[in-house]
Amino acid sequence: MGRYAIRRLLQLVPVVLGTTFIINYMVWQLPGDPFAGRCGQRPCPDSYITAMREQFGLDQPILVQYWNFLKNLLTGNFGTDFNGVSVATQLGDAWPITIRLALMAVAFEAIIGIGAGVLSGLKRGGFVDNVVTVSTLVLLSLPIFVTGYLLQWILGVQLHIIEPTVSDAATVPELIVPALVLASLNMAFTARLTRTSIVENLRADYVRTAVAKGLSNRRVVAIHLLRNSLIPVLTFLGTEVGSLMSGAIITEGIFNIHGIGGLLWRAINGQDYTIVVPVATLLVLVYLVSNLLVDLLYGVLDPRIRYE
Amino acid sequence: MRVTKGAKIATGTALLALGVAACGGGGGSSSGGGDNPRAATGTVYIRGCEPQTGFVPGNINETCGGTINDFVYSRLVKYNSDTAAPELDQAESIETTDNKVWTIKLKPGLKWTDGTPVTAKNYVDAWNYTAYSPNAQLGSFWFGDIVGFDKVNTADPDGPDGPKEAPKPETDKMEGLEVVDDLTFKVTLSAPVAVFRTKLGYSSFSALPDAFFKDPKGFAQKPVTNGPFKFVQWDHNSQIIVEANPDYPGPEKPKVKKIVYKMYKDDNAAYADLVSNNLDFTELIPPSALAGDKWKSDLGDRAIDGQQGVIQTVTFPLYDKEFGGNADFRKAVSYAIDRKTITDKIFNKGRVPINGWVSPIVEGFKDGACGDLCTYNPAKAKEYLAKAKAEGYTPPAEFPIWSNADGTHKEWIEATVNSINQAFGADAGVKFVHKDMPTFAELRDTITQHKIKGAFRTGWQMDYPHIENFLNPLYKTGASSNDGLYSNKELDKKLHEADTATDPAQANALYQEAEAMLQQDMPAIPLWSYGLQAGTSKWVTGVKVTPFGVLDPLSIAIKEA
Repeated sequence: MGRYAIRRLLQLVPVVLGTTFIINYMVWQLPGDPFAGRCGQRPCPDSYITAMREQFGLDQPILVQYWNFLKNLLTGNFGTDFNGVSVATQLGDAWPITIRLALMAVAFEAIIGIGAGVLSGLKRGGFVDNVVTVSTLVLLSLPIFVTGYLLQWILGVQLHIIEPTVSDAATVPELIVPALVLASLNMAFTARLTRTSIVENLRADYVRTAVAKGLSNRRVVAIHLLRNSLIPVLTFLGTEVGSLMSGAIITEGIFNIHGIGGLLWRAINGQDYTIVVPVATLLVLVYLVSNLLVDLLYGVLDPRIRYE
Repeated sequence: MRVTKGAKIATGTALLALGVAACGGGGGSSSGGGDNPRAATGTVYIRGCEPQTGFVPGNINETCGGTINDFVYSRLVKYNSDTAAPELDQAESIETTDNKVWTIKLKPGLKWTDGTPVTAKNYVDAWNYTAYSPNAQLGSFWFGDIVGFDKVNTADPDGPDGPKEAPKPETDKMEGLEVVDDLTFKVTLSAPVAVFRTKLGYSSFSALPDAFFKDPKGFAQKPVTNGPFKFVQWDHNSQIIVEANPDYPGPEKPKVKKIVYKMYKDDNAAYADLVSNNLDFTELIPPSALAGDKWKSDLGDRAIDGQQGVIQTVTFPLYDKEFGGNADFRKAVSYAIDRKTITDKIFNKGRVPINGWVSPIVEGFKDGACGDLCTYNPAKAKEYLAKAKAEGYTPPAEFPIWSNADGTHKEWIEATVNSINQAFGADAGVKFVHKDMPTFAELRDTITQHKIKGAFRTGWQMDYPHIENFLNPLYKTGASSNDGLYSNKELDKKLHEADTATDPAQANALYQEAEAMLQQDMPAIPLWSYGLQAGTSKWVTGVKVTPFGVLDPLSIAIKEA
């Protein structure tokens, strides 16, 4: 397994090089001069455009720009954005908040989603199963911004149970409601996925064997049934971590959370690629690493899977 | 920071009944009526956004930075929040006999927040710095009227795209600026400019202290200023804090101790905070709250309804044979737009139809410059369309009106094209459609390169409240924002006459005549002027909004508990 992990880690290098090159290339090829929109209805002074292009190396050929980017990436120097603010500081401020929010959301998805899925799967057709089916249907049909504004309006503005927006510190208690909103849709997916998987495996031979061996019900479900049923769920949650790390633009916007999503959104709107490119690069890394972790976890859950 | 919200959140989660193990928490006292939480700290919270550039007034051209800069910098002239009229601020007198040589005297005893006095040299140095092209300041063109500007600001011979570089300017000081003594300086313009006094209130005309020139970059993040408030702290993407400047000499002092300029990405979030009294002021009420006047029932007497100096127009690319049309065609389009119904239905009367090319709130505004051309009249629209065709113009089958998808323009442009199509009738041979470019940058890029195929939305937000600001930059031949490349020698002559008139009243009359001349060619179609919708929390009082649509920081006060 160690060798497998190392091989996978080495594979990351060409993937990262390739994706960052494509990101750099595409981003700078987008139509519209990033400095043309910065002066409203008036054209920007030529001296300003020239100075900015020089400062950010936009007057260089694409390969030189990419080489500079790699050099800066390896030395951990992200420079400043178009507003003259250090990119590293901005990322450093925003990432911990986004990570906190994403982990909380995934935790909610896992705990509530898997819990509901197991309960409804074990008692198929029962009352709990019907409740879960109906409530997941409701969650699945509500887009996140509806859930978000609704909870903000009811809990924050009408009932004053929470503050409508999250403070700059974004502490864990403050993030509970936003994390629930963020998790709501995928919580329903997780519940349904778990339920299907459980229902299918309940009829599997190894479960019948385990029951026939005289194992306690708890042991059959927790050790034999759940472990096997969680593989597809884990794949889903693993990719979920990656996409949540990229920042939940909508949820962050609704609750005014100063995370990566908002930073990225502002940067894309202002065509500020000095932020877009490093964030996209980091996201590629997060995706690759979380996928690797999921693959390694398969082996833990299912002993039939071996890595060479 | 405000009180902790832990206990409240725990209750909220339990309510959600999603089976989360709720952490325990004692019942906190909820802030209802009674005590005013702002009174203890003297701090108010207003909606903000991240400035694009730092605190260097000559390098700012957007509202996020402009708003907070106006809190901390005073200038020679300021604009009255109620009437938009220019009033002397740091200047004791601004005198001229010919509108060409201006003698500016500062009030004695003015101070920067680092204790140094505000001198005439501070103004002259700042203006020279901003104008000097190697410093690449966004506001450099504002000094184009001053003698010697061309010697400090050189143009790139082939534009920023070409291989050639701009030559280094001969000098970094404009001849037209002369320090007379500590408090007096003289400005010589290359030609008379009637509105120069009014212009002096624009942020590019601020002074900069000596501290700036030692470390311009550091200063931009942590400035020394001379306004009613002074800079305390800037947490990027999150907040800017300013506090009342004890040395501020103005007759009206700040009424709050601190203002927190809290950044929001989403207007809806700011609005939710405003309704629940966590935020004390926002000037951006989201469309969802404007619909059906919901904001007025939400806010009651906390709603502020007003006007601001921004107008919306549709401009034609006059350089393009196909989409430029001819004068009668553009008039037909203007007749075909039902401005009243659109502003009523789409904007809930939040915008007001205009009858000319100038915002109604500025000095020199005269109603009706557009004649009856800006009044909905389908019969005349058809008549002028027929006339335009008879003169030899064949409109394309599909005529787009362009906008940028990252703004909120889709709805009104669709309503506008429907109005035009209906007025023209099905057999008109031309169908107007709405088209989008993804971003504002791309739209502006296409427009300034003169490659746009169709009419396009244009808006003009005034730099200073004067009729001149709505004409010279937009319709003079070769002007910086003359997007349609309109050129009319008669109009240029009239504008020049107005610019150089020495009597302000006469200048205004000439500008009005010039505006009326736009009727002949209709290079842009006036639509409506922006209203202003703002709101306050129940903790504050006396709030005034400036004609620029932002908070007057001296007006906001905390209610007595």
